Amino acid sequence: MNMHKIVSGFFFILAMTINFGFFYGNPEVLIDHSAYELFAAIVVNLIATVLKLGDKTQLGAVLLATSLVADIQLIASATVWTIAYYVYHDMGPEATTAIVSLSGGALLANIVSVILFISDTVKSKR
Amino acid sequence: MNDQIFWIVLKRLRIPFLVIIVTFAISILGLTLIDGVDDQGHVYHMTFFDAFYFVSYMASTIGFGEAPYTFTYSQRIWVSGIIYLTVIGWFYAIGSIVALIQDEALRKAVQRNRFNKQVRSLTEPFYIMLGYNSVIKNIINRIHANDYRFVVLDKDKAKIDALMLENFYPHVPAIDGDVTNQQMLKLAGIHRKNCVGIISLFRDDTKNTQIATVCKLLNKKIDIIVKGSSPQHLEHFKSMNLKHIQDPFNTISKRIYYSITAPHIWLLEMWAYGHSLNLRKRDLFPKGKYIICGYGRMGQALEIGLKKANIEYVTYKIDSKTYQKEKGTTLFGDEEDTQKLLDLGISDAACIIAATKDDLLNLTILNKAKKLNPEIFTVARENAIEELTMFQAAKINKIYVLEKILADTTYTLLSKPLLDAFVHEVRKRDEAWGEIIVNMLNNIIGGTPDYFEIAVNKEETYALALELEKGKKITLANLRRSRENREELLPIVFLLLKRKGEIFLIPDSQMNIELDDQLLIVADNENREDFEYIINNIYELDYILEIERPKLFGLF
Repeated sequence: MNMHKIVSGFFFILAMTINFGFFYGNPEVLIDHSAYELFAAIVVNLIATVLKLGDKTQLGAVLLATSLVADIQLIASATVWTIAYYVYHDMGPEATTAIVSLSGGALLANIVSVILFISDTVKSKR
Repeated sequence: MNDQIFWIVLKRLRIPFLVIIVTFAISILGLTLIDGVDDQGHVYHMTFFDAFYFVSYMASTIGFGEAPYTFTYSQRIWVSGIIYLTVIGWFYAIGSIVALIQDEALRKAVQRNRFNKQVRSLTEPFYIMLGYNSVIKNIINRIHANDYRFVVLDKDKAKIDALMLENFYPHVPAIDGDVTNQQMLKLAGIHRKNCVGIISLFRDDTKNTQIATVCKLLNKKIDIIVKGSSPQHLEHFKSMNLKHIQDPFNTISKRIYYSITAPHIWLLEMWAYGHSLNLRKRDLFPKGKYIICGYGRMGQALEIGLKKANIEYVTYKIDSKTYQKEKGTTLFGDEEDTQKLLDLGISDAACIIAATKDDLLNLTILNKAKKLNPEIFTVARENAIEELTMFQAAKINKIYVLEKILADTTYTLLSKPLLDAFVHEVRKRDEAWGEIIVNMLNNIIGGTPDYFEIAVNKEETYALALELEKGKKITLANLRRSRENREELLPIVFLLLKRKGEIFLIPDSQMNIELDDQLLIVADNENREDFEYIINNIYELDYILEIERPKLFGLF
């Protein structure tokens, strides 16, 4: 048992599942995508990123990179939402699709990091 | 080194970042959920952006709005005063907490506590490593968690930090502290039941002696693996009854001795450490006159080896420190030096060994020697692994890297005890025996064979152990049959059998196997798998031993 492994594994997988919860649904209908879920996804992703800081190993560096990609995409998604809502006052299908597809990109990055994490766990001797 | 600091800082930043993220997240979420009332008395909810904006300026105390109504001027004068007052109070409180955390004594105490907990939670057998360097890192990388666990103690905090950044898994408990201190050794678990031994490979012999003495006093039962290279200290270690003394100079001296007098014995030993099992001309030391440069611990050890081998030699007592002091450089090869080499008879010498403490000096001596006599066989002592490429580029015939020898011998001692025993037994035999064995191994296995160790018990050899428990007599020859056709022999060789401390080198094939025997076996990969299959699977074992089991209802 390794406490750090449990905690970081928990946040990696939670980041992926919450992100999937936000992503799932018709991309043109904003009511299918909860703002609270996007918020939770951003927070959990940021925590997952911070947990990888200072890990000098090769795998740690790659995991950090994938987490950063997910963060950037999710924050971009939130930014698009804010700009569309406050600056253009237009939450049409174009903006909605952009928001959801950006989170979809983040979801891919999440999946990659979970796969890397699992393969590392499977590979280790005990 | 800067790189190191960067990673440490990043790692330390984890917790503060986590705190900021969590507090921001809670604050923002709360604000979006709580009902608000606007200036017309309607209930409203903040959006995430509103909440993010407000928390951003509030948390950093850039300023905040006034609630529940706009303030009067007299209120504002009062508030401007108390903002500073409260902020000073806050900073003072936080500052004291930070100072407490940074307090060296507290940090040490917390660290000791954590280290102690980690050591106590080890359930597997473990070794205590004193000092952390590239040799130790090499050993940990190869053995950790496969055979043993490790606990590391080093005086230098920076080295312990470097170890932490290696991210060994499972974790290697490590702490900085005085390695000769009894308290620290106790903390590292020297009294624990699963502590197998202690490893001390410092360059300084006196330090190793001190450690060995303290450890012997603390716990009589544990193995003490210690490096020693000067005659006085070796004598002292022997008088203390230490069995595992690592002496790289002695190893080198012996290897040279065997290479000259019994090349096949030498070959068997080198093969155990990963050399191929083919005698190549260029590996062997020439016969003729030898020149030893440097008369320190290595020079003296070589002298013993060469004397025993009946080789003519001269020693050149060159000391790296005095050389540097006199000439102001460690680059060998001015007029005087050249004359010195000629005086020593470099032109008709067969071999020159550069054995000083300074790598650069060794390298330049050999370069000069090669210029004076292109045919000469060159041997270098290399002290640190980092400069390996430089030595390889210099086309030296034989390079002895002290760190690597030390790491290899210690690794074999810890992880492959039968192989270590094999090397010791082989040294007692003569050249003719060695030649027969080498030819046999080459004929039966072909190429460079691999070796593996098994112990006869239920974990490692399930089927065999079952049969032996029933009281069946099985000889080594019985086990050598092929599982495809039991009339044929499997190309494996039983190299060594260890039974209750007794060692049988090349055991007789009619010898019966007993439970808890340990075997050193040579085979290639494919046959190794076959063999492991046979001794673990009862049906395969039945087949090769021609055992008939009673058939169930005559059907199966």
